[in-house]
Amino acid sequence: MEENINYIQVTNLDYEYPDGTQALKGINLEIGKGEFIALIGQNGSGKTTLSKCLNGLYKPTRGDIIVDGLNSKKSSIVQMVRRVGYVFQNPDHQLFNSNCWDEIAYGPHNIELTEPEVVERVEEALKVVGLPKIYHKEHPFFLSKGLRQRVAIASILALRPQVIIVDEPTTGQDMKQSLEIMDFLKALNEELGHTIIIITHDMPIVAKYAKRVIAMGQARVVADGATREVFAQSEVLKETFLAPPQITQLAQSVADLGFDPGTLTVEEIINQFNSLTN
Amino acid sequence: MNKTLLGYVPEKSLIYAVHPFVKLFFLLVVSLFPMFVSAPDWNIILMLVIVLLMWVSRVNMSTLKIYIPVAISMGTIILISYTVLGGTHPEFELVAKVWGVNIYWERIRDAIIVYFRVLPMIFTMVFFLSTSRERDIIVSMRSVRIPFVVTYITAMALRAAGMVLEDFQIVRQAEQARGFDPVGKSIAYKIRQYVMYMVPLFALSLRRSEEFTNALVARGYAFTGEATKVKRADYILTHYSYKYFDYIFIFLVSVSFIALLVLRYGYGYFSVDQSWLIDLLRNALSVRGG
Amino acid sequence: MSEVIKITDYSWKYINTKTPAVESINLTVEEGAFIGIIGPNGSGKTTLAYSMDGLIPGQYNGIKKGTVEVFGKEVEEYDRGELQKLVGVVFSDPEAQFTAMTVEDELVFGMENIGLSVPEIQERLDWVTELTDLKNLLEKPPYEISGGQKQRVALAAVLAMMPKILILDEPTSMLDPISRMRIFDVLAKLKKEKNSTIIVIEHSLENLIPLADRMVMMSDGELVLEDETQAFFQKTGFLFEKGAFPPGLIQFFYELNQRNLYNGDYPLTVAEASLKLNEMIKKGK
Repeated sequence: MEENINYIQVTNLDYEYPDGTQALKGINLEIGKGEFIALIGQNGSGKTTLSKCLNGLYKPTRGDIIVDGLNSKKSSIVQMVRRVGYVFQNPDHQLFNSNCWDEIAYGPHNIELTEPEVVERVEEALKVVGLPKIYHKEHPFFLSKGLRQRVAIASILALRPQVIIVDEPTTGQDMKQSLEIMDFLKALNEELGHTIIIITHDMPIVAKYAKRVIAMGQARVVADGATREVFAQSEVLKETFLAPPQITQLAQSVADLGFDPGTLTVEEIINQFNSLTN
Repeated sequence: MNKTLLGYVPEKSLIYAVHPFVKLFFLLVVSLFPMFVSAPDWNIILMLVIVLLMWVSRVNMSTLKIYIPVAISMGTIILISYTVLGGTHPEFELVAKVWGVNIYWERIRDAIIVYFRVLPMIFTMVFFLSTSRERDIIVSMRSVRIPFVVTYITAMALRAAGMVLEDFQIVRQAEQARGFDPVGKSIAYKIRQYVMYMVPLFALSLRRSEEFTNALVARGYAFTGEATKVKRADYILTHYSYKYFDYIFIFLVSVSFIALLVLRYGYGYFSVDQSWLIDLLRNALSVRGG
Repeated sequence: MSEVIKITDYSWKYINTKTPAVESINLTVEEGAFIGIIGPNGSGKTTLAYSMDGLIPGQYNGIKKGTVEVFGKEVEEYDRGELQKLVGVVFSDPEAQFTAMTVEDELVFGMENIGLSVPEIQERLDWVTELTDLKNLLEKPPYEISGGQKQRVALAAVLAMMPKILILDEPTSMLDPISRMRIFDVLAKLKKEKNSTIIVIEHSLENLIPLADRMVMMSDGELVLEDETQAFFQKTGFLFEKGAFPPGLIQFFYELNQRNLYNGDYPLTVAEASLKLNEMIKKGK
């Protein structure tokens, strides 16, 4: 039987900021290829710090992060970001060029690919994110937030990382826009095999898309498992000041009637309702 | 630790007891001192006094190390401008000839005088900024009845600067996350890439400025017209009161200044002829170039 | 109950855009009401909010048709600064709203602008810091507090001016669930203690629904639905059609209704839903 060698292995990770605050304590994680993970937790619990450790922006104070066989402490940032891409929360922080095409080409140019290779990567990324041709030569500043986010994701895709971490993909978006971006990430995961990690507070979105949830609280991992299982642990979630989606809360409040405390969607609860009343 | 504009000052420092106006007064008056003092010896003493004051206020002295390269490059520029680019006078004393350029004693002397005039002024400014929080600057300006618009724009500039610095960090990380690695690349490459910081910083500021203006308007503020005629309560000033030592400091600084002027213009003190440092230097150079 | 806001056949088109941002809006807001406004991005919610405070047409160029009356007077007829004493606005970006160097300065700024005296300022400061739990943060500068705390400061700064009408434009969209809850807690307290009129634009419906008396839906620049909260959400099919996504509970009971398994009012909170489910299951067995 083939052993599933984890793509990312985090062992006893500690991270301390220069002024002494401990942002991460004793983190242990294994992440395999092709997973779809939601990283949840209160503000300040360490989610963004963890992500920046995974892509090499931060070096661990203690402990090890091994990505695709490379130890982050011994590798350059460039080596790491080619394996783990990180899309910042505010696309404005990472759009440097005057048109979308150049923006997406920025990454490949940085890693010194030849001109034909750069063109190939940009075309590919544009196709994947489905950016309409009229926007290719537009200045990113003038696009809507949703489109800007796509450009940001495309510019990370151009580096062809296996893992893509997206920080708050749905903040400030309405439901329809949120579903669009999430469906897109789902396609990246299911059709192209990328490992997707989303950092979010949006519990219904987590319930609908994430297969695995890592919950953080006070610099530690407080829960790690399949979405259903983590949401069923309402006590643990309370500790991190999070609440599962309304449907899950409802199911938990009537668990004594036979509802599954790990219920995630409206369809599931309807099915349970039907079977309980027939 | 409390964060001031140029660094950190520990919680228990004497400087907090002083009314912000006194700090501003000190800055404005003491930075005038070097203008009336030609002899570098005295200006050096003034510099040391300021450093001593910083130490007494428990400013983090290691932050001063940052200014050493600045001081050196500035000194070099002044020296070169005066010696190479300065004019000549028939009575000037030639000290040396370097690469075909005549170096005159008078030019070196003038460069040194100017350099040691500028340094204390900078140190006074650094002292002020290292011991003042943003609020102190606003309070000191309000306490001398500078129009609110001016103080408010200053406050907003400080706030904007703060936000830009925060953004700068994030933008830098974003560049790295896209594989930007300046190590081992040409200078031109590095410069071009650093210029790219401007694009996101600019975009962020633009986006924020609209909401910022709306927020101001929503708080009832307008920059001109009827709104400025409102009598402001200046609530913040109620937290600060003048104590007896504030008056003593103001008195001391004023008296020093007056004494300085009297000695300078009345008795001819602080002039170049009396400077033993200048004499020392002159002799050293004459021996060499004579 | 008097009408504090009366909008009649109102349209606004920003300069340089082809279509109006809002068209033919008719809306009346009664004193003391808590109104929620929902709708997809781009539907005109923010334009509507800004129109009620005079930011439109005050700060923006465009073409206005119809009338927007606040306390019986057209918004343009108010002197500069007068309308802001009556209508307060909290925006969505906590960073951009923090204009001063410390929390205390921020809270006092608005009060100084409207010409209050030192004792009045002191009194209101005490009240507002108590209400929003900011007493420990008064000396702090903006870079030492979190986004959620900044937003509470923005809310407090506006409340300190004691406006009769309070408008909040997506106040919690950039906040985490805990900070979000705290903002709504303040609003709940306000609703109980004072008779202010509160208008909230939100995507996060779970917190909004229990507090709102009436709901308004915007879609494509038009006001497509306005009703008492319960009645509003009974029209679930219509809401979906127009691009709104009611929270999970309501979706569930709507589905039950669509399958002829339920016929009553849709529950607005988990507690209500739980009770109803209990009833239904016990009856069904």
